[in-house]
Amino acid sequence: MKRTFYKACLLMFLGLFAAGNLYAQQRILKGAVTDEAGQPIPGVGVSVKGEQTGTTTDPKGNFSLSLSAGQKTLVFTYIGMQTREITVAQDQTSVNVSLLGDQKSLDEVVVVGYGTVKKSDLTGAVATLKGSDLNRTPASSVDQLLQGKLPGVQVITSGGQPGSGATIRIRGASSLNGSKDPLMVVDGFPWGDAGNLKQINPEDIESIEVLKDASSAAIYGSRGANGVIIITTKKGKSGQPRISFSSLNTLSTRANKPDLWRDPVDEAIYANEAAANGGAIATDIPYIGITRPFGEGDKTIYYPSIAELRGLDPNKGPWPYNTDWVDLVYRNPVSQSYTLSADGGNESTKYALSGNYYKEQGIAIKNDYDKYTGRLNVDQKLSRFVTAGTNVVLAYTNNTGGGLGVGRSRIFPAYDENGNYFRTSSTDYGNPLSIADRVLNKNKTMDILGTVFVNAQLTSWLQFRTQLSSKYGNSIQDQYDPRDVTFRGFENKGYGSINNSTYTELLNENYLTATKEFGEAHRLNFVAGYSIQKTVNRFSTLIGREFVNDNLENENLETAVTKSLNNSLSRFDLSSFYGRLNYTLMNRYLFTLTARADGSTKFGANNKWAYFPSGAFAWKLNEEEFIKSLNLFSELKLRTSYGLTGNQGISPYQTLDRFGSYKYFTGAAFQTGFGPGLAGANDEQGRTVVGGLGNNSLKWETTRSFDAGIDIGFMDQRLTLTADVYVKKTRDLLRLKTIAPSAGYDQQWINDGTINNRGFELGINANVIRKNELDWTVGGTFTMNRNKVVQMGESTRVEVGTLYESVRQRISTYTVGQPMFAYYGYKSGGIIQTLQEGIDAGLTGNEALPGEIRYLDISGPDGVPDGIVDANDRTIIGNPNPDFIYSFNTSLKYKQFDLSAQLYGVYGNDVWDFNKLTPSRQILRWTPDNPSNEIPRANGTRGFKASDFFITDGSFLRIQNVTVGYNLRPNLIRGVSNIRVYFSGNNLYTFSKFNAGYDPEVGENGINTGGYPRARAYTIGLNVGF
Amino acid sequence: MNYKKLIYGLSVSALSITGCTKLTEEPYGLTNTGSFYKTAADAESAIIYAYSVLPEVGYYSRGYYIITELPTENLTQKGDAGPANFELDELRTTSNNSDLDNIWTYMYRGVARANAVIINVPKISSMPEAARNQVTGEGHFLRALHYFNLVRMFGEVPLRTETIADVSQIPMAKSPLKDVYDLIIADLKSAESLINVAKISEGRANKVAAQALLAKVYLQLASAKSSGSAGYTFVDNADAMYAEAKIYAEKVISQQTSYVFTDKLRDIFDTEVYKKASTSEHIFDAAVDRTGEVEGNFSKLPNMFLPADRPMTIPYDAGDPSKGTINIGQGWGHFRTEAAGYNSYAAADKRKTELIVSSYTNGASTYNLDINSSSRPFTRKFIDPLRVGDKSSCNSPVIRYSDILLVLAESAGPTAEGYEAVNRIRRRAGLGDLNPSLGIQAFRDAIVEERAFELAFEGSRLFDLRRTNTMEKVLVQKYGKTITSGAYFFPVPQRELDTNPLIK
Repeated sequence: MKRTFYKACLLMFLGLFAAGNLYAQQRILKGAVTDEAGQPIPGVGVSVKGEQTGTTTDPKGNFSLSLSAGQKTLVFTYIGMQTREITVAQDQTSVNVSLLGDQKSLDEVVVVGYGTVKKSDLTGAVATLKGSDLNRTPASSVDQLLQGKLPGVQVITSGGQPGSGATIRIRGASSLNGSKDPLMVVDGFPWGDAGNLKQINPEDIESIEVLKDASSAAIYGSRGANGVIIITTKKGKSGQPRISFSSLNTLSTRANKPDLWRDPVDEAIYANEAAANGGAIATDIPYIGITRPFGEGDKTIYYPSIAELRGLDPNKGPWPYNTDWVDLVYRNPVSQSYTLSADGGNESTKYALSGNYYKEQGIAIKNDYDKYTGRLNVDQKLSRFVTAGTNVVLAYTNNTGGGLGVGRSRIFPAYDENGNYFRTSSTDYGNPLSIADRVLNKNKTMDILGTVFVNAQLTSWLQFRTQLSSKYGNSIQDQYDPRDVTFRGFENKGYGSINNSTYTELLNENYLTATKEFGEAHRLNFVAGYSIQKTVNRFSTLIGREFVNDNLENENLETAVTKSLNNSLSRFDLSSFYGRLNYTLMNRYLFTLTARADGSTKFGANNKWAYFPSGAFAWKLNEEEFIKSLNLFSELKLRTSYGLTGNQGISPYQTLDRFGSYKYFTGAAFQTGFGPGLAGANDEQGRTVVGGLGNNSLKWETTRSFDAGIDIGFMDQRLTLTADVYVKKTRDLLRLKTIAPSAGYDQQWINDGTINNRGFELGINANVIRKNELDWTVGGTFTMNRNKVVQMGESTRVEVGTLYESVRQRISTYTVGQPMFAYYGYKSGGIIQTLQEGIDAGLTGNEALPGEIRYLDISGPDGVPDGIVDANDRTIIGNPNPDFIYSFNTSLKYKQFDLSAQLYGVYGNDVWDFNKLTPSRQILRWTPDNPSNEIPRANGTRGFKASDFFITDGSFLRIQNVTVGYNLRPNLIRGVSNIRVYFSGNNLYTFSKFNAGYDPEVGENGINTGGYPRARAYTIGLNVGF
Repeated sequence: MNYKKLIYGLSVSALSITGCTKLTEEPYGLTNTGSFYKTAADAESAIIYAYSVLPEVGYYSRGYYIITELPTENLTQKGDAGPANFELDELRTTSNNSDLDNIWTYMYRGVARANAVIINVPKISSMPEAARNQVTGEGHFLRALHYFNLVRMFGEVPLRTETIADVSQIPMAKSPLKDVYDLIIADLKSAESLINVAKISEGRANKVAAQALLAKVYLQLASAKSSGSAGYTFVDNADAMYAEAKIYAEKVISQQTSYVFTDKLRDIFDTEVYKKASTSEHIFDAAVDRTGEVEGNFSKLPNMFLPADRPMTIPYDAGDPSKGTINIGQGWGHFRTEAAGYNSYAAADKRKTELIVSSYTNGASTYNLDINSSSRPFTRKFIDPLRVGDKSSCNSPVIRYSDILLVLAESAGPTAEGYEAVNRIRRRAGLGDLNPSLGIQAFRDAIVEERAFELAFEGSRLFDLRRTNTMEKVLVQKYGKTITSGAYFFPVPQRELDTNPLIK
């Protein structure tokens, strides 16, 4: 509605120019107007300052204007762009102008759920980003590109695997067991959890809005608690068809040099020392010049001695192998992205379509990701009052291979004398080349998303929209493990599987929008609607074990000796009523009331409907006379909001009683039984954990949030600042409660528990220089969140995540009074130097020996140190949540050149570094001659305790992106309206004290287990407009 | 075309379609109370599910033997077994004992499944009455078995007889022993009257099983009362209970033909014999088969007993080399036979010479097992020469004919009938008849001793010592063990104490 209003204004504005009389016609000035990306802009108003002369640009962005004599100042105006004044010299006959996106415009329209609002009228905390501001670097999903762009939005990318998404947290994590991901809404269609938006080409994105506070997110009710990300794709503009082509060609390198043994001699010495210290008998010390049985047939493997490796054994020649696994397993990958798009139309029809091919190579060999996406938007005016349209998205991806290890010994070759993959024994499944070549691991996905809508202007102030959307997704994963390549393959004599998943969603939205003004002082905007969304997800897995040979891989599972299959389906419906009222009083007092009622099949019978009200108030101080008189602020707005949002992170059917089944032998055969108690996974004792007891009261998690913010603008918005503080309290957390085993069940989902998040976020932007040919902008964001688990029913600590075999415990916890994922384990104090010191420390056995880690006795059964290091001495030893995250960005434009840069930093987080003992550190190990207090001795049989020995500061500052571009003068080439070439470098350097072999940015839980290496990407980009 | 009408029409239809949507949930691929218990096949499946808890690892395929054998003089455990095993073996259990938590959990899972049968199956009107009664009766039998195990292990326990539909039902206080036994007896009498089929199949209980278990229950009450075992003062009259035990034992021993006394000791425990014979000693087993897919469908119980050193070959018949040899593989050596029990057999007792393996061969070598080493002589009651990998068909016997024969002897006392019963057992074991002139107490003591040999490693000894109030007399005074806690009743698991507010 508002868009229409502004379009009308624009037309009037242009009409005025058209009507202008042209007096003296002394010269013709020709020119072209483009945007930052070099795309021509049609319909730009061009006027001569102080005169009535003016015109607008044609569909190719060109204009021609008759000027009277003398130096003139031309004014270029376009909605959504910064107005620009250009002085033309007396004799100048052509001028090319580039307009800058006007991020700071107060008239800019911001997309919020079920409507738009003028930026200056926002009452909630909404962060906005233009699609054109996304870094131009290969990204299989746009989620990764949001990192460092918006205050209050934390984006974690935990590695460089092609096709991987990102973890997004808006104002902290607020659920223990439900989803922590924001809701992703694309063109009015809620697609689900954010994290891997692979279906939308970043170049098709017009704008991204992030709804952060309760007032703005409450319109999405039971899915709004983690915030909402709204993606709006580009729509067609009327005029001649505009065709454009863009490409990204990228060469990547590894950002971190793997920290591996460089010299086989060092490696062998360390291995021998580790074996000896670990208690191995003499013949089990690996590198002593001995032949060992391979384990199959009569084959043997010869292990050289240290002297031989050094080339000092008089009876042996030099050792022939020194395998560089990095060279064999990693590569400098090349990636491409090509987009072809077109848009255009007339008064009644507008269209936009685009296609993209994206290919990303992984750093590991044979790991590739291909993606094809297509998109079509059509809007058709059916009558003066009715518009109908459609929006279709197609996406296809193909992912092969995966990460590979490079830590294998240099001492042995990659291939044996017959050209087969070399193995040290018949149970050696570590050769990464054989895994890359022989293991089948392929994943294909296909998505079809479509929306059809009808929009009717019922009266001058009332509009109705009905929309039908559907989403269909399919993925097929093919896996085959040959018998001599992986342990699983060996164990099963060949293991093949096919995983099928299909996801379907159907959405119907119907809502009314009313906009009305009552006199000068009162403005009302009202939205009310109803929606229903149905979701069905189906899964099936076919598994075959034991094949005659490995030739057919998983292509004929029927021929397997053992076949197993399983299938499941989950479905849920969501019905909702929602409404929002915006009331503006005297253009300075803004009120917003929002509410949504969600009814879900997933909720228990006693709690089918959830209600999420919220309210916000904003005061535009800059409209008050006492501020206006200061003549300082172009904007000064105070905002505050309070409200409820929810998280419906329950899996379907959890509220119902569910039966288990089990077989029993009755003489001739097994019979299948059904009854109460549904066996789930095994617990640590190896016992099945039985659930299946329904809970009619099971419901959503509720987050109450308070937000207070201020928006300040100086000097006609050349300097803007937005700051917010917030407090979020999430209650009724979904949790598996342990129930009395005498009931026949072990646990049940309940709502019980509280988490708090509070924080501060800041965004600053300054247009430092704004001249004709020079424009310089600097900006930054600052995000600080404090997370705390307040209570979890009867539990004070729950261990979560993976059970790490190396330390025989889970290390991440939810602990009352601590942030989520706080680490739990022992404290350590350097390295034991003497046996007495070890014994005095309360350690026994091998753990007390010199060179071992000195764990501290800090407590005992009675809460005081008891002289024994045991499980009582464990405590909270670290926190993976950062103190704050921050980013800087700048962009500089000079004539046809532009330069932009972004820095991204995380400060004050702990990383649990399981890869701490890298070879460059192992070489500094404790020995009797080198009494290190940092690095323990070599010991092949050490059972590490989970301790702060592994904890490292994970702070870093990264040069995220630097882009240098050049825009050719428009229309330089016939038929080509614009050309832009640019060079973009991504992940250029990271300042950090973290383990040099790894990137400090690991997952949300802060655990480094050596994930997929992160790429440093160098990209050449090209945009051509026709 | 009037678009306004179109829009109104569209919106009205959209609202009417969506307005009809109910928010009730239809689960996919999952059965539940609402959709089950409709047909005879459902009833059959319900009782199968109730049985299927028995051979799970936590119950008769492992946990039961850990709980009932480690505290006695029969078994101890390997050195690196978990601390809970050591607590049981050394009779110093606490509420944090994970093995006790485990068996408690499985027994109550069994109770919940049996309750589901008892509550729901009688409502299935579409099935023939006889079949409905039989399934319901089996449900009663299973519930009685679980509670009999629970009461003998833990004493007073929550007495759950309803299915759980809501968490509000979970808090429940312990019931006195009397109430527990009243339910057990009532259940077994129901089972006895409802089941009329002589023998349903392997692994399923019938009238004889109900009578047999009833005999054991009455004997428990009788002997616990007469010996003054803690908690059993509620029993009015020990002799009346002995009389009841005798009545039901006689029903098993002499009033039916489905289960019989097996003449050869070895055949009692040979899966290929007892599973295929039309009649056998096995009145009721937790049944498994080596073709099963998961542990609990097959059993790995033999591995607990078999030493871990190397694959073993033993004579099929220790007394007759001409019968050839069998390969029994190797195990985990988890359980170790205790010297106290091993040395207490008479030298000629075939239950030692034929049922305990003390040497084996591997290739050309012969290995003798030393009772004081880490690889000790082991029982061959649980072996399966035909096992596939770790998968064995070795059932866990719950009630054997010989057990009931000794129940008859003990309840009948030193009568002709009593002597005849015990002497059948002794003669099969190659021993002479029992001293014919024993007084009543000496006779009953002798029967309990006989049970120790006959039912060794089968989970009977602990309960026999408890019901005869002789835990200290035997384990402490005779075998030199120390009892710190849990002599007669184990502590209720901490998880139950933490989550059931009414249990105190």
